[in-house]
Amino acid sequence: MIRVRGLSKEFATFDNGSSGVLALSNIDFEVRDNEFITVIGPSGCGKTTLLRIIAGLIPYDQGEVTIDGRPVTGPGPERAVVFQNFALMPWADVLTNVTFGLDIRGTPKDECQAKARELIKQVGLEGFAKRLPKELSGGMQQRVGLARALAVDPQILLMDEPFGALDEQTRRLLQEQLLRLWEQERKTVVFITHSMDEAVMLGDRVTLMTPRPGRVKEIIDVPLKRPRLRDVEKSSVFLEVKEYLWENLRAMQIE
Amino acid sequence: MKNSAVRDWGLRLLVFAVFVGLWEIFVGYSQNFLLPRFTETATGLFHLLFHDHRFWEALYVSNQALLLGYAVSLLVGIPLGLAAGRLRWMDRVLNPYVGVLLAMPVAPLIPIVIIALGLGLAARVFIVVLFAFVFITVNTRAGVRSVEPSLIEMAKSFGASEGQIWRRIVIPGAMPAIFAGMRIGLGRSITGMVMVELLLVASGLGRLLLEFSGRMQSDLVFATVLAVIIEAIALLTAMQAIERRIAGWAPDVSIG
Repeated sequence: MIRVRGLSKEFATFDNGSSGVLALSNIDFEVRDNEFITVIGPSGCGKTTLLRIIAGLIPYDQGEVTIDGRPVTGPGPERAVVFQNFALMPWADVLTNVTFGLDIRGTPKDECQAKARELIKQVGLEGFAKRLPKELSGGMQQRVGLARALAVDPQILLMDEPFGALDEQTRRLLQEQLLRLWEQERKTVVFITHSMDEAVMLGDRVTLMTPRPGRVKEIIDVPLKRPRLRDVEKSSVFLEVKEYLWENLRAMQIE
Repeated sequence: MKNSAVRDWGLRLLVFAVFVGLWEIFVGYSQNFLLPRFTETATGLFHLLFHDHRFWEALYVSNQALLLGYAVSLLVGIPLGLAAGRLRWMDRVLNPYVGVLLAMPVAPLIPIVIIALGLGLAARVFIVVLFAFVFITVNTRAGVRSVEPSLIEMAKSFGASEGQIWRRIVIPGAMPAIFAGMRIGLGRSITGMVMVELLLVASGLGRLLLEFSGRMQSDLVFATVLAVIIEAIALLTAMQAIERRIAGWAPDVSIG
């Protein structure tokens, strides 16, 4: 379980360092095991910063961030990140990219490759193991990123607007694929998004954040049954939650 | 694929033929009895390669400076470039010096180096290094800088140590630019070697050139120059082939 209490983070500005930008202020946030939480908010609300702090990639100033009671001081084997711009090594083929996390940990080569091939198959990229990232479409590249994250068998998947750089059609397909994969193991997921459709479609709960400084405004339940199929988008529950989100988000933009 | 390669080579040969043709015509019409024809130059080259052991001795001596100078340039230039790429303070410290060395002509420094180090191999190697190392540094640094920060972050997220980040992300990512720097550095080393030969004259090919021009054997002068050019082309082409293998995945943003 991820637990965030009273988290604050300030970024120093470049000019004189005395004034800073308060990216996050007093964040209280909890993610239960096996829960799929989506985080949405306007630009500048600090959602990516929050994710990075949970991932252990940036330090925080005040408050408490713990995973199963242990404080976060850096990255760890129980967490894996999926990045918006894929972050694939352009000089390495798909197989090498997918094995990266395992390789760093010193897993023996044949084990890495076996696991990687299995995941490559699961994300639907069988046959592409020897291709270079530049030979793949955006959607396929992100599937490599996903396979890489899943390869290290993390408890927690941290996803930073993973489908934000993709066109709508690809995005929708990948959402469905992600849900299918998730249903198999139900890892804990923190998923950052700009899209209300995505937030409601994927999440058990939606965390709504406000900007300047970043705060958690509200955490909204999404009482839709799982497994979620595409037609869920037509249900009244879906539309109500989405409408509620939009009212709040729109109000934030006007301020 | 095959057809366009044949066509390209055909066109290249055509350019060469036109050049030789113009050369012959120019010599034919000029009153300059010193100016050799292409055929005389070619014969001269043949003579040098197969009948004159002094040519090979001279080539060996000159190449000593080239290869040693190039090796030292790599040993100095690449680590400096890596450091400047990764460490902000190092980059700031080196920046003005690098800028100056990039922009200024190095040839005027040769007499100073000769005064300081004499006329031996050390001086010649030093000059070659002066010509070459900055370009290697600058391209190496650019290569390190060009590595996407998100890749480094990705590596950290999987728990990579600083050493692992260097070996798995920074160096492979910077390789194409480092190789471009090595190729440009080789070209600059050759320039440096030739400059030293022309101004230093005491050894190797420079001495031969002086001897041949002193005896008005202009065909041999041209032939010697042609030999140098051929060697340069051979080395650079080999370098480019290696570069293409290593860096097939990246676009060319080299400096120099």
